[in-house]
Amino acid sequence: MRKAAFAYWDNRLAPVFDSARQLYLVEVDTRGIALETQEMLPDDQPAQKALRLAELTVDTLVCGAISRSLHEMVSAYGIRVIPFVAGELREIILAWQSGNLQEDAFAMPGCRRQRRSLRKCGLQSRSNLP
Amino acid sequence: MSGGTKKNKPTMSTPTEAILESISDGVFTIDMEWRITSFNRAAEEITGVPREEAIMRLCSEVFRCSMCGANCALLLTLETGKPIIGKSGYIINSDGNRIPISISTAMLKDAKGKVVGGAETFRDLSEVEALRRELDSRFRVGDLVSRSPLMQRVFEVLPAIAASPSTVLILGETGTGKELMARTIHSLSPRREGPFIAVNCGALPDTLLESELFGYRAGAFTGATKDKPGRFALASGGTIFLDEIGDVSPALQVRFLRVLQERTYEPLGATRSETTDARVIVATNRDLAELTRSGAFREDLFYRVNVVRVQLPPLRRRQEDIPLLAEHFINRFNRLQGKAIQGIDAEALSLLMAHHWPGNVRELANVIERAFIMCNEGLISIDHFPEELTARGASTARSADVRSAHDMLDAQSIRTALERNNYNRLAAARELGIHKTTLFRRIKKLGIALPQQDGRSPKTSKQ
Repeated sequence: MRKAAFAYWDNRLAPVFDSARQLYLVEVDTRGIALETQEMLPDDQPAQKALRLAELTVDTLVCGAISRSLHEMVSAYGIRVIPFVAGELREIILAWQSGNLQEDAFAMPGCRRQRRSLRKCGLQSRSNLP
Repeated sequence: MSGGTKKNKPTMSTPTEAILESISDGVFTIDMEWRITSFNRAAEEITGVPREEAIMRLCSEVFRCSMCGANCALLLTLETGKPIIGKSGYIINSDGNRIPISISTAMLKDAKGKVVGGAETFRDLSEVEALRRELDSRFRVGDLVSRSPLMQRVFEVLPAIAASPSTVLILGETGTGKELMARTIHSLSPRREGPFIAVNCGALPDTLLESELFGYRAGAFTGATKDKPGRFALASGGTIFLDEIGDVSPALQVRFLRVLQERTYEPLGATRSETTDARVIVATNRDLAELTRSGAFREDLFYRVNVVRVQLPPLRRRQEDIPLLAEHFINRFNRLQGKAIQGIDAEALSLLMAHHWPGNVRELANVIERAFIMCNEGLISIDHFPEELTARGASTARSADVRSAHDMLDAQSIRTALERNNYNRLAAARELGIHKTTLFRRIKKLGIALPQQDGRSPKTSKQ
């Protein structure tokens, strides 16, 4: 079972995770999506946001722009962060499920892939794996 | 800023476009579908997004501002028709850095007056913020904020105190920030990675305090089923802060003395001594020297804890800090409560300045926190203060005649001049532009208490 959190707003991925309030949680098993739920994120200190993700036992966070410090804080909880992603929420979920999230079509402007596999935005720790 | 943005050389078809390309403010325009239709050179530099990638993309995904989404400034402008000017926020650039910005918005209309989109200009405030932080840092150490000469002298010696392993004694009235000072010393010290353990010695009965501080072994008393480490053990490699040290019993004072002298103690029920390497900071709001004279506090323990002394002045003696502290608390509560209170109006600030503050900084923080409940936006005014504050202020104002108000200001000026000149009367008189004998006469008339130190001898307040 894997669990991913998508920070969203208005049916798209929220442009800035640091100020995002809504989370869409997707759990998948070998047969596909097993459960979809929604949660609110606290609107205060970044540490509270990171803590909430850890409490929700999330494996992966898929989000729009994220500040370096918050990215590091979330990663410190052992959560993989796939940042600077943009697009319709449903398309992003399907792309994550099929391992295609690293495609340029889902990159925020200014974050297209450079060289072979790395996007240029934020910390270079993303993986193509869902 | 990105630094890596490829600069394009767009064709300048109009003078307006040429101007937009030359200015240092970022400018972009959007159509009614929220897609970017123009993006100037400064916008590329500030966001780190090349123009060709920005055009026809959703503005929120290019701009990546803290306001994007439910708090969109441009949305508000398009809904109300009113421009927004100089609203503060931040964007996240391609490197993941938060860039502080101020934004302004306007509607775009065609020749017939029909709304066809919006324009947003934004200014990079990184340098302004850096300058502001540099200015602030002169009045700030950790979470401690002050402009007062009395506190500035404490700030000057704080790094040296933090670097030494000596026991520190913090003295000050209730609410002056003794624990905050202890935390700051810990955070500036080489032990900052270690734990900071605070214990209020006045809050627990003797036997409980003993087991809390030193721990116990299984079987030490009924109910002690397993070993429990004490606070001294938990503070290993860090700092232990013992508040209200003046309230501990004579029996416990003996045990403290041993810990401070020999760095050893015995947990309850233990047969062997434990050693501690925790740095000890103690504090009290009582006059420890007087307690020692009266026999309530052991003289040998007094000398053991009185190695490095930090005296925190009450808020009424650092009135110049009230506006700074009020701003500090407003910023903090804005962050914690997600509000945007702009500040405090002049009348309300005057009331705060006139208050005696028996509860010191803690009381001020509580007054501001209460005002946050009553005030939703704009400036905090007198209406948002509790009745006891406004009633006292009003009665003071009513009863005080011009003479007493003048005397109050006079006394405040003399106190400030004396403090600034380290209580050197001659230097203070010179600063006030009056003769030394006039200063002495006024000090006597206004009943201003002076310390033993007279400014001609070396500083003795802190060692």
